[in-house]
Amino acid sequence: MFDNYRDVDERYVTDTTLVDVEGLHFSRGENDIFRGVDLRIPKGKITAVMGPSGTGKTTLLKLIGGQLVPDSGRVCIDGEDVHGLSRRALFRMRRRMGMLFQSGALFSDLSVFENVAFPLRVHTDLPEAMVRDIVLMKLQAVGLRGARNLSPAELSGGMARRVALARAVALDPELVLYDEPFVGQDPISMGVLVQLIKTVNQALGLTAVIVSHDIKETLSIADYVYIIADGQVMAHGTPQTLDVNRDARVKQFVHGEPDGPVPFHYPAPDFYRDILATKGERP
Amino acid sequence: MIRPIASLGRGTLEGLSALGRAAMFLAQSAVGIPSREGWHLWLRQMHFIGVMSLAIVLVSGLFIGMVLGLQGYTILVGFGAEDALGQMVALSLLRELAPVVAALLFAGRAGSALTAEIGLMKATEQLTSMEMIGIDPLRRIVAPRLWAGFISMPLLTVGFSVVGIWGGYLVGVQWLGVFDGSYWSNMQSSVAFVDDILNGMLKSVVFGLVVTWIAVFQGYDLIPTSEGISRATTRTVVYSSLAVLGLDFVLTALMFGELG
Repeated sequence: MFDNYRDVDERYVTDTTLVDVEGLHFSRGENDIFRGVDLRIPKGKITAVMGPSGTGKTTLLKLIGGQLVPDSGRVCIDGEDVHGLSRRALFRMRRRMGMLFQSGALFSDLSVFENVAFPLRVHTDLPEAMVRDIVLMKLQAVGLRGARNLSPAELSGGMARRVALARAVALDPELVLYDEPFVGQDPISMGVLVQLIKTVNQALGLTAVIVSHDIKETLSIADYVYIIADGQVMAHGTPQTLDVNRDARVKQFVHGEPDGPVPFHYPAPDFYRDILATKGERP
Repeated sequence: MIRPIASLGRGTLEGLSALGRAAMFLAQSAVGIPSREGWHLWLRQMHFIGVMSLAIVLVSGLFIGMVLGLQGYTILVGFGAEDALGQMVALSLLRELAPVVAALLFAGRAGSALTAEIGLMKATEQLTSMEMIGIDPLRRIVAPRLWAGFISMPLLTVGFSVVGIWGGYLVGVQWLGVFDGSYWSNMQSSVAFVDDILNGMLKSVVFGLVVTWIAVFQGYDLIPTSEGISRATTRTVVYSSLAVLGLDFVLTALMFGELG
């Protein structure tokens, strides 16, 4: 398998590490999702985690956020072992994080405005006027200031994700985990979002972890990329080094080639035999 | 031969594990006593769980009281004891019918709604996103509902009893001609505050806790799919009803039976 994560690009490791994932093993039933994953996510950078469908990229974000517990291995954020924390300490740590969910996960009983205001109201004592200003600034950034009074049910999938992004960065967290931020966005919103993630990262010095399938967009803003496959880190490097990587699997994934060592089909018996199988033989 | 034993063992282990999870869930949620900041959440749930259940509970109470009045009269009149109708209606309602029927209605109206609401929040990752914002959903979502159910149930039972006694009066006195004075005086002389009223209230407190606990746990612990929500909602009504009826027997035996 690929070299140890500690062999990452020298220019990269000189940065202070915010998230350190070490020897992560995780399984669901008999299905091994991770078999010893090592990652290092530096402060103030955008790190992308990519890989074919079903490789557990979202699961990795949930493990970093402490929502899932690994079978073995450690996830440390700023030196603290996420899974060794008490429930109360874990919730305190999460106030320093923001997460953008694939579905948006907006609170359906609150308006767009109240969704974005929610973290501010529960974690700060800011006066109402300031909460309003911050919420409007965040909504302006995602282009939905005019939609502040709509309910989540009235939003399209892409709009809901943009509101969720505004909510995720409402408290200007140190670490933002983006789960497929570009899915379902029209070309204009996609371009704005890509720029927004980059700008927020640069202006506020946030650390970002992006899980995405959208290679072009993700590579255009990522400082460093990890590609995960078969439960392990298949490759890692800067977008430039990955682009010229000669490993057949990396090449196939980065360039979106249909033929290559990474199978398109989920493991299954031979198609011909499967079709002709009699009733008793069918799996 | 081995397979049934294995499946029995697996079922028992799964049951015990669910019971353990439910107990931990209750312990973690119950500490979220409504705080000064969270009173509006609790108040909103009191409205949704308590006030919104009022109509069905009161209407059912009225009909059950009326039926008791009618049935009681037809039986008692055979012995020339129709004057004891007030006593019969009141004791039946206060000791048994009000706590039990109100709890069963509560499970169907509020319990199923609680399970579906929390389940849908889980399925749409709202609970997870709340966790990631640094808010414990057990305290923010579950605790206000648990406490609201716990407090609403005895109040609904009081409403059920009052309306039921009035329903019995309506049929027995106003319609069938039982003497007004004997309806109320027999009731007054036979109903004991501690033995009848407080014991009935104690039952409703227990039922309120159990039904709400089952409802919120089923919502929180379900498999987040449409089928999972449907199954959990059904389980809430079935488990709650069985728990209420089973506990009613145990509590009745302790309060009024030889075991008491």
